[in-house]
Amino acid sequence: MQQVKAKKQRESFDVLSNIIVIFFAVLNLFPLYWLFTSSLKNSSDVVKMPPDWWPQTFTFSNYVEVFNSQPALRWTLNSLYVAGLSTVLLVITSSMAAYAFSKLRFKGRNVLFVIFVSSLMVPKEVMIVPLFRIAQDFGLVNNLHGMIWPNVATAFGVFLLKGFFDSAPDALREAARIDGAGEVRTFLQIMLPIVKPGIGALFILNFVQVWNDYLWQLVIGQDKEMKTLMVGIATLMQDLNPNFAYKMAGATVAAIPMLIIFLLFQQYFTRGLSIGAVKE
Amino acid sequence: MKLRNPYLKENITGYLFVLPQFLLFLLFIVYPIIEGIRLSLYKVQYQQETFVGFDNYATLFSDPVFFKSIINTVIFVVFIVILTVGFSLFVASAVFDKNAKYVSFIRGSYYIPVMVSMVVMSMVWSFLLSPANGLISYAAREMELGIVNLLGNKSTVLPVIILVTFATNVGQAIILYIASMIGVPKDLFEAAEVDGASRFKVIFQILIPLVKPTTIYITIINIIAVLKIFVVIQLLTGGGPNNASVTMMYYLYNNAFKFNQLGVASAVGVIMFLITMLLSVPQLRAMFKDK
Repeated sequence: MQQVKAKKQRESFDVLSNIIVIFFAVLNLFPLYWLFTSSLKNSSDVVKMPPDWWPQTFTFSNYVEVFNSQPALRWTLNSLYVAGLSTVLLVITSSMAAYAFSKLRFKGRNVLFVIFVSSLMVPKEVMIVPLFRIAQDFGLVNNLHGMIWPNVATAFGVFLLKGFFDSAPDALREAARIDGAGEVRTFLQIMLPIVKPGIGALFILNFVQVWNDYLWQLVIGQDKEMKTLMVGIATLMQDLNPNFAYKMAGATVAAIPMLIIFLLFQQYFTRGLSIGAVKE
Repeated sequence: MKLRNPYLKENITGYLFVLPQFLLFLLFIVYPIIEGIRLSLYKVQYQQETFVGFDNYATLFSDPVFFKSIINTVIFVVFIVILTVGFSLFVASAVFDKNAKYVSFIRGSYYIPVMVSMVVMSMVWSFLLSPANGLISYAAREMELGIVNLLGNKSTVLPVIILVTFATNVGQAIILYIASMIGVPKDLFEAAEVDGASRFKVIFQILIPLVKPTTIYITIINIIAVLKIFVVIQLLTGGGPNNASVTMMYYLYNNAFKFNQLGVASAVGVIMFLITMLLSVPQLRAMFKDK
């Protein structure tokens, strides 16, 4: 009797919690629903009161306008270039360093790793003034490469990949060494394939991180043609054009690539994000 | 050529593998920190730098706007972090033991705003909150609350920014908690259930204490993320009305790139750097505990 009662109580608490969770999940998605549907309305319907909860007439003219009146295609390509190249470079440099920290014995290894990881918590934004002056000295202001290099300096990749190298068995490496493979060949042909899941997670997490980065790209990309998608789309907020549907179409253009990436690679986010948090 | 000393050889190989990352680290992280500290002691006008000691810091601490920016930043950190930890604990503990499809639906719904970025979410919210055309203002009029301008009002601007930032970013904490709770061994719950403990009790007395490392991690990364809060301020309020929503990062940005006060901006950066270092000590200690 007691048992049954406890069971019932448990169920109702659980059910109620989950109803609340679902309610807020839907509520949290509402702004995005409003973004998409508004972007498809014409300029008078979008501000109509009471509002149309579902567009009465669908129009793609706002999207056409975003691409015609703004260099939105150029911005998209800039973002792809900046996020893509930053990530490829980061994967190369940090997989090399993580491999050394995990498998090679060299003096000062642990101290160096601690110093690297300590820098993880410092956001690059707080050092934006000296960083900007370095960019000036190297002629990297108003230059896409100025947006790329500081991103490659993060220790995040080393931290993430070291865990993957740590769990790769030493025996494989030793076997390769006995077969006469040099360190570089062992790294490229034996070890890298083993940590592929880690590289996948790093690739996606960092790509999204750079794609959505704002402040640094804002100060580096000064000409209209040199802006990235996030920075360019944000300028629509100050655009004199009073049409809200046009602004919402711009925001949708900026949102869609990341939505696609998320739907395709959801499990990478779950795994990659958790690496820093759960330390067994 | 073969090196005679195998230890020396492994040392050199190690350094060579670390070298590219290390050079970038020196140039874009270590050097800017040192240079930032140096610049904070100088008055910088274009190419000319004059040593002024702690004048920039003195300027900062006599500027009421800087104080306002500290207070606002602290308010944002405290409220957003408490909301984020509390709500994500609630969501994760409610769903973590349900079927995988449902878990991934909940995870996705809360994480999608994180994915589409603060820039996009700020743009939507600025439309929703627009006094003339926004849905929220319309709802307020329908409920006969009169004309509301939540972002133009000193007493509502901070709560609105807190809510928008929290709603946009809570998904990350939810993903972390769910992953951590799924990792808790099932027999712990079963033992408690045999003893007749309610789910409520199991959550509070077993689950939440067990995910404490995740709580620490989420707290710290969120404090640091909110400390540099910028996008939502620039796009929603521009620090207004009348500096009511100015934050440290926004203050730094304006001094550096609008008012050309590079020394003062560097001093703000140094202060923020010290705060982040101080805050990350517990996390770093936890990460190296098993070393």
